[in-house]
Amino acid sequence: MGLLRDWNYIEAATEIPALSEMIREALIHALFVRNDRVLPREIIADLTRTPAVTVKIKDDADLRKLVQVLNGSESTMSLGLDAEDYNYFRTQLGVGKDREIGLTVRPHALLTYDWLVPEQRGVQVDFSGYEGMQFPAKGQTALAQVGLPWKRLYDEALAKGHLLPAVPTVPLDFTVGDAVWGDAPLASYDAEFDAYVNAVRTISAFGHRTRVGFEEAANNGTGYDVLHGTLPLASEFYVPLEVGLRLAPKPAAQKTLTYTYDDGAKLSASFDKLARTGQRFPWVHVADAAAAAVLRPGILADPFTVQVALAGTATGLPLREKALDAALAGYKVKSAEVPDPFGVPAAEYAKAAKRAERGLFVGEVRLPAASAGDLAARLKGLGQQVAAKVGFYASLRASGTLSAFPFFDHPKDRTHIYDLSKGVARLVEKIPGAVFVSRLAHLWNEEPAYLARMRLLREIKLAFDSPHVLEPLVRP
Amino acid sequence: MANTDYAYRRLVNTLWPERVSRTEFDRMVYSHDFASLPKVALLQWRLYPDFVVLPQTTEEVASLVKLSDESGLPIVPRGGGTGWYGGAVPVRGGVLIDMRKMSHVRSFDPATRTITVEAGMTWQDVAEYAEARGLTLPSLPTNAMASTVGGGINSDVVGYGSLRNGGLRQVVADLEVVLPDARVLHTAFAGDAGGAYADLTPFFFGAEGTLGVITAATLRLIAKPDLVKPLAYAFKDTPAAATFLGAMVDAGFQPYHAALLDREHFVFERALRAGSPEPADMVLVTLAGAKDDVADQEKALDALAPKLAAAKRPPQEAEDLWAHRFMMYSARRLSRGLVVANNVVPLSRLGEACRLSRELIRKMKLNGAVHAFPMDTASAILAPYVLMDDTTPSGGTALGYVKKLGDAAFELGGHPMGLGLFMVFNLRRMHGRAAPYTAYVKSVFDPGKKINPGKTIEVWTKYQFPGLRAIPPPAMRVGLDVAAALRRIKPTPDKFVRAYERGKEAD
Repeated sequence: MGLLRDWNYIEAATEIPALSEMIREALIHALFVRNDRVLPREIIADLTRTPAVTVKIKDDADLRKLVQVLNGSESTMSLGLDAEDYNYFRTQLGVGKDREIGLTVRPHALLTYDWLVPEQRGVQVDFSGYEGMQFPAKGQTALAQVGLPWKRLYDEALAKGHLLPAVPTVPLDFTVGDAVWGDAPLASYDAEFDAYVNAVRTISAFGHRTRVGFEEAANNGTGYDVLHGTLPLASEFYVPLEVGLRLAPKPAAQKTLTYTYDDGAKLSASFDKLARTGQRFPWVHVADAAAAAVLRPGILADPFTVQVALAGTATGLPLREKALDAALAGYKVKSAEVPDPFGVPAAEYAKAAKRAERGLFVGEVRLPAASAGDLAARLKGLGQQVAAKVGFYASLRASGTLSAFPFFDHPKDRTHIYDLSKGVARLVEKIPGAVFVSRLAHLWNEEPAYLARMRLLREIKLAFDSPHVLEPLVRP
Repeated sequence: MANTDYAYRRLVNTLWPERVSRTEFDRMVYSHDFASLPKVALLQWRLYPDFVVLPQTTEEVASLVKLSDESGLPIVPRGGGTGWYGGAVPVRGGVLIDMRKMSHVRSFDPATRTITVEAGMTWQDVAEYAEARGLTLPSLPTNAMASTVGGGINSDVVGYGSLRNGGLRQVVADLEVVLPDARVLHTAFAGDAGGAYADLTPFFFGAEGTLGVITAATLRLIAKPDLVKPLAYAFKDTPAAATFLGAMVDAGFQPYHAALLDREHFVFERALRAGSPEPADMVLVTLAGAKDDVADQEKALDALAPKLAAAKRPPQEAEDLWAHRFMMYSARRLSRGLVVANNVVPLSRLGEACRLSRELIRKMKLNGAVHAFPMDTASAILAPYVLMDDTTPSGGTALGYVKKLGDAAFELGGHPMGLGLFMVFNLRRMHGRAAPYTAYVKSVFDPGKKINPGKTIEVWTKYQFPGLRAIPPPAMRVGLDVAAALRRIKPTPDKFVRAYERGKEAD
């Protein structure tokens, strides 16, 4: 998602004598808000460039050709454009000038915000029409094209007797690709989205069709796990086209239970207890009152609403429900009437997604489940400070980690995004064991071990992308 | 390269004499792993290390790695030596680092449910430590008794618990690694960042010690289940047992573990241990969780079993099988060696895979058994083993079975597991055009090819002359194909059980 490019840009910018005296954070702030009083005109020009051409992909052969043109192994003639488009394409990209032309993928739905350094007048690839899916006759796998809306895959899998285990914590209208190169927070109670990816069909920087991983089976014991090592930043290493996913069987019986809490301390204690029981669930989500109001408008929500998906045998479900009730003791109201937010018809899901995307999201806060109430209280305090309504969606993991996504009722301008990100980062520092994960937080981090890892990742990216085509690294 | 006497003195100065060895016997012990190797292999590789060293701290490992710049000797890290394909044996001598002296718990945090252990600790020791404190490891390698934490990660092994709790990849939160430039690197963020902050841990899974020396690992723990209950079901044949495993997963069961053990396995066990179960094609299902939940799952499984003509075996038999789960390969005592062919296949094709495994055993006139288990909802481990006696002329040809079954795994949409020294020819077939990516990763971490060189992505020989330095991977493939062909023309099948029983009677 362009993180290596952003990070590399900051690293290089701090080497510029005129900027090296600025502290890193002030530089990031200036770059993020495009502060033309602080930054030289050339840098502002870098940051305001946009991709020159957007290409809508319908067939992987188009993309192969495009990559081969950009890496110089084919001429623009290979694109087969008519004379007018041909001239437009070459003029826009400045083909023939002595510079690299990069390729970037466009996320369909971004939870947080765009990257710092945009593609420098290269090609943007739009996968919105690339939305096929395949389910083999036998086995719990699926192959989904990156432009496929997540909800369609979920519904189709259910219809075919499977369950897509990873669901979004914030229910936006994400595509499969958004989970691979964007910031779609897909996860299950057991694992993050990556754990369900068996393979990715890609186009390499050399324009070859390249499969990373195995579609029908896990890639254990096949040398370095390149797939999961590169997946979080996939589009900087290759262009993902299709994702081979591991599914779960559709449970014989399932139920969505809703519990409400009026006290953060009780919620924290219940979550901590639940994660220590060793019970398994497809997902466990929590929304505060503001988030619950977005999901189910018109219903007066309690301070915290927990939804738990329960799956198992028809006879086993009541036993699991009983154990769940015991673990979540302290709840105010329990209900089995609130619908499963992912099982609703697509139109209803899309409506909820539209409402949810209005919020200004700054990133993810990962914290021990026992600190859920503490986070809620601190977020409320921050909301009062910045005079904005604040809320959060969160999902619990079996490891006892709560993954929360705070949002603010604020206009989505870059200054607000920066300031609120900083505010959340500061409050997270005060919660023991909590960590703030966002694009900005990555750039702020100056821990030596992290910098060493990023340098290694950058080297790996440069080795994979030696023709400098895939979101090429930029220096100011 | 500095002379070996000088290197020895430097090593002794670093670790003291009692933790540095260059005796012939020690070097011989470390010249092979679990696999039996024909002596002819010594013509190609210098499998004996020059020195065997036993560091006790990360600083000592870093010093050893730094020292290799001076001595020019390659570094070969080694855990329990439970690998099958030569991942932990030298190809050109060098300094072999036995990590087993680094076997302590560094920290244990019940609040975050994590434990940080040194890489030389065995998985079983980690599990016992955690269990004594009310927690447990979510999954354990099948050879947990001897496999070390570093070794298991480097081999990317799969084992007990992966079906319910995810494999070792889900267990490992962070690694401490000594890189080839002697820097100490943590591969992940200190807290649970969900893979953010440049998590390099995945690159070390399956790395076979070629990217750096893993010195410690932070592992995630889960609550110890109230009850662990093994159940055993007998089937009319192996494909029926495999079908049961698939049907069980498709019906939504996710037991702690479920494994298929074919009839032959119990024939071997019977020859060695009178109390072992009656030979039959069996499935061992182990349930874990709350008592009520386990009881409900058992009931549901008992209802599913008759649909596939399965008969439930007495509880004692299941308990016995579960108690012996870490001793899968005792049949090695029947012959003088044993080869395991580890493969990953789609779970939906496990029945076919088991049938092919048996057919190959028959065609190649081997004595062997089939062992398989689902590792997640889509994949299964197929790990049949065959007995061999490498002191006989035909012994080494049993290795051809591993090659042929690997080919079958590819055909089924899966792949063989492990590259090491002997299976590197599979790399291209595994990854196709993505195969060079592995070489890129190696070149970034270890540009000087200092750590465990000549393996995983290429095969070096002991010779340093141009043209003889490396073996082209296809040549290795041809060698094993020839071994398989020789096996087929062997006039008589292996009969290790009868030979063993005759031997017992004679005693």
